[in-house]
Amino acid sequence: MKKTKLENWVSGCIFAIFLTISNAWSAQDEKNSQGFAWKDGAEIYAKICAYCHEAHVGPQIRNRELPSEYIRRVVRNGNRAMPAFRPSEVDDESLIKLADFISKKEAQH
Amino acid sequence: MTSQYIALPKGVSEKDFDAAIRDFRKILGDASVLTSAEQLAPYIKTMMPVPDADHTPSAALLATTVEQIQKIVAVCNQYKVPIWMISTGKNLGYGSAAPAERGQVVLDLKRMNRILEVDKDLAFALVEPGVTYQQLYDYIKEHKLGLWLSMPAPSAIAGPVGNTLDRGVGYTPYGEHFLFACGMEVVLANGEVLRTGMGSMPNSNTWQVFKWGYGPYLDGIFTQSNYGIVTKFGFWLMPEPPAFKPFVIQYQHEEDIVEIVETIRPLRISGVIPNAVVIAHALYEAPVKAKRSDYVSGPGSIPDEAVYRIMKDHKLGIWNVYAALYGTQEQIDVNWKIVTQAFGQSGKAKILTEQEAADDPAFAYRAKLMRGEMTLTEFSLYNWRGGGGSMWFAPVSQARGSETLKQMALTKQILAKYGLDYSGEFIVGMRDMHHIVDVLYDKTDPEQTKAAYQCFDELLTEFSARGYGTYRVNTAFMDKVAETYGPVQRKVHKTLKKALDPNGIIAPGKSGIR
Ligand SMILES: Cc1cc2nc3c(=O)[nH]c(=O)nc-3n(C[C@H](O)[C@H](O)[C@H](O)COP(=O)(O)OP(=O)(O)OC[C@H]3O[C@@H](n4cnc5c(N)ncnc54)[C@H](O)[C@@H]3O)c2cc1C
Repeated sequence: MKKTKLENWVSGCIFAIFLTISNAWSAQDEKNSQGFAWKDGAEIYAKICAYCHEAHVGPQIRNRELPSEYIRRVVRNGNRAMPAFRPSEVDDESLIKLADFISKKEAQH
Repeated sequence: MTSQYIALPKGVSEKDFDAAIRDFRKILGDASVLTSAEQLAPYIKTMMPVPDADHTPSAALLATTVEQIQKIVAVCNQYKVPIWMISTGKNLGYGSAAPAERGQVVLDLKRMNRILEVDKDLAFALVEPGVTYQQLYDYIKEHKLGLWLSMPAPSAIAGPVGNTLDRGVGYTPYGEHFLFACGMEVVLANGEVLRTGMGSMPNSNTWQVFKWGYGPYLDGIFTQSNYGIVTKFGFWLMPEPPAFKPFVIQYQHEEDIVEIVETIRPLRISGVIPNAVVIAHALYEAPVKAKRSDYVSGPGSIPDEAVYRIMKDHKLGIWNVYAALYGTQEQIDVNWKIVTQAFGQSGKAKILTEQEAADDPAFAYRAKLMRGEMTLTEFSLYNWRGGGGSMWFAPVSQARGSETLKQMALTKQILAKYGLDYSGEFIVGMRDMHHIVDVLYDKTDPEQTKAAYQCFDELLTEFSARGYGTYRVNTAFMDKVAETYGPVQRKVHKTLKKALDPNGIIAPGKSGIR
């Protein structure tokens, strides 16, 4: 069903009123009650690892069939200048997905 | 009897610690209380030249709510267990995620990571401690808010709360981060929750728009401090400008720093150049393009002759001034004329813009930092020496050419004595400069590690003897730096500590305060 211009304008106004009301800080705690969670290994790789490992800062790690267990250990312990990443940053379950993502050949994804 | 813990807090018996851990588990659940060596490994690794054992935590607590933190401080008070707060925990080169003292319990707030509000019109954000710059960047993009972040070089993996609480800096016009902080929520040691400034007033909607509130301004005492645990943090964001023009100005001689600073100061103070300009030495930029081992081998600091070869081979100045103009195209055109005239006068400056330098990796990452884009390219610094050792030496200097030259010469001389290189830059503040030197060393080499420790100690001693104070320091040297600011400040800090945290449970040792 196509909305008329007026309907669009009205729903826009309702949205604006909602925004205004929710600006009071008493409502702030209710908003965005969901914290952050990783979607998959590829996202973690892109938003953490790739900044070094695809940028000539750290070594290439993808497509080298590095053992998953080794990757997980390096992530948790760090390696020389590579910082360690805590389970609060990359939870254990996501780390398994990340290690899989890194160790498998690209075609396997 | 061997302990079931890898470390214990100072002065706390294993029996009491056991009881505290039991209570923490009741508050957070078993999975969020970490005590095994394997679980705590990422909280132990630091880049400092001291044994890991000195900074090994006894446990880590992964809290997600204010209520949990209130309960945690109650347990800490009962058993006198000290906690060490981290937000995103990437204080690399300043102590990382490890506590100041062995046995402290890390209170890890990374999972408290909600973006509570980003207001497009008023250009502010209110976030929890675990929010990273990457998370906020994605949120702003997704919601098309047209706002820019200012972040430190570890951008994606660090966060605004931890960075600003340690009074860190970024590279946009909002680069002096604490200047742009507006409103905090703080859990105090007695479990009370304080909202600073306008946040103290119920139903106020000005918490993130007016910094000062009523009465003494309190936000400052919660930065670089151990007077409370910050659980919400407001700050201002920069509206995306219609146009942006990054540029680099290269100079060929170390003494040219005098001319550079004298030229920049009036432009910075008058706002013609609005951002936190960086004057980077060739050795700060070189690792992005060159390998140290291609130029020198063996012990000792790199000779000037090799530095000049690197400059030639990799199109670097000995000084590389990165700055940017922001605004409408018309504003930029006017200011560009002023900038090029000012720098063009002596004939020594080589001015490059995106047109000439877009493909240069050093320019590319600096341009990203000046527009709040994610990059970790600066981590190339660690490939220079290898071995993962790093401490930031960060004295403050007047924005006056003669001063910067003096500081550079002194730093270089002390580093050379210990065989270390001058990887330095000046970040131009409003009237000051943060002189930032990455004291890089190979932490796998015991001799170099020892030398790095002594070198850093001497840098602090010599600089403070000349009245040059340090703005921030790693956890191994906090007492030493606190001492350099004299007894009266230390006494005031201690008095506040006693009043706000009589049992000394919050991050004892931070900034030398106990
Ligand atoms: C290559 C490289 C480049 C860097 N460049 C910069 C730079 O440009 N600018 C810069 O500022 N730094 C820089 N750093 C240093 C550091 O990595 C950043 O400052 C980083 O932002 C700090 O880590 P974080 O944001 O995760 O803060 P955290 O580690 O979470 O916190 C830092 C400190 O703040 C205090 N703190 C944290 N959370 C709380 C809380 N909730 N309540 C009370 N106190 C708290 C604690 O003392 C903690 O140790 C750089 C590091 C590297 C390795």
